[in-house]
Amino acid sequence: MTAWALIALGAALSVGLELLEALAIVLAVGVTRSWRDALLGALAAVVALAVVAGVVGPVLLASLPLDLLRVVVGVALLLFGLEWLRKGVLRLAGRRAPSNSLREYLEEREAMEALPPPEPGRADWPARVVAFKGVLLEGLEVVLIVAALSGGSQGAAPAILGAGVAVAAVIGIGAVVHRPLARLPESHLKYAVGVMLSSFGVFFLAEGLGVHWPGGDAGLLYVAVALVAVSQAQIARVAAT
Amino acid sequence: MSALRKLVLGETWALPLGVGLVLALGLVLDAAFGDDRWWHDAGGFVLLAGVLVALSVSLPRRGSRDRT
Repeated sequence: MTAWALIALGAALSVGLELLEALAIVLAVGVTRSWRDALLGALAAVVALAVVAGVVGPVLLASLPLDLLRVVVGVALLLFGLEWLRKGVLRLAGRRAPSNSLREYLEEREAMEALPPPEPGRADWPARVVAFKGVLLEGLEVVLIVAALSGGSQGAAPAILGAGVAVAAVIGIGAVVHRPLARLPESHLKYAVGVMLSSFGVFFLAEGLGVHWPGGDAGLLYVAVALVAVSQAQIARVAAT
Repeated sequence: MSALRKLVLGETWALPLGVGLVLALGLVLDAAFGDDRWWHDAGGFVLLAGVLVALSVSLPRRGSRDRT
């Protein structure tokens, strides 16, 4: 039950934060250029992502032996999780700008406003390409993280449930924009996601190599505690240098 | 391609290299001590220690002026 809840929470937070960044780009394109072209670009990216998910999911889940699957999943989660955690340490130590989707939205808006407008009646290809690329790159990370979390010992249900909750929440935020984006403590949330994904990564990698964690699923908790302790010490060290 | 590389491997080579070394260490220890009780009971802590070292090494060291 511990692992199930943590996987759902980890999926919800990581998917939500990635989708917020995609939302910031689509909103910026829609507001400055045209909603039609922004949504067309985003829709094309969603179709491409559905194709990737249709390939990655079944390949990961159905064609690998269980132990090898756990090793692959563990390594994938470690690659994503440790990168989120490294950036989180740098942000919380003041060595990197805080994560802020509202700021990204404003910067993207400024960049789009600098582009020449399309001729009347012609498709706005720069707007479509920016929306497509933004949604595709953020969405690709979502697909890979959800596929990796689905390959763990708890199956796909908690990861898909968490991702579904995140999608609903981000669509809700998109409907009212601005203020919720400004209020979210994104740097802290991304640091927490880094800890969670890295914990799952170590946990699944060890299980795939035939290792037993004392306490079973509770192992996730003390792995997370160790990651928090070391990363907090690193935040203090990096901030002091 | 650079965006895709950054997406999968991140901004620094230290982390993917570190994860690769932890994986290699785990595979070697599993091949050598797969039937031993210590690996079964404590192998996870060895891998966790490797991951913590990889994270620490990927961060700027004292005197570094890298402000990513």
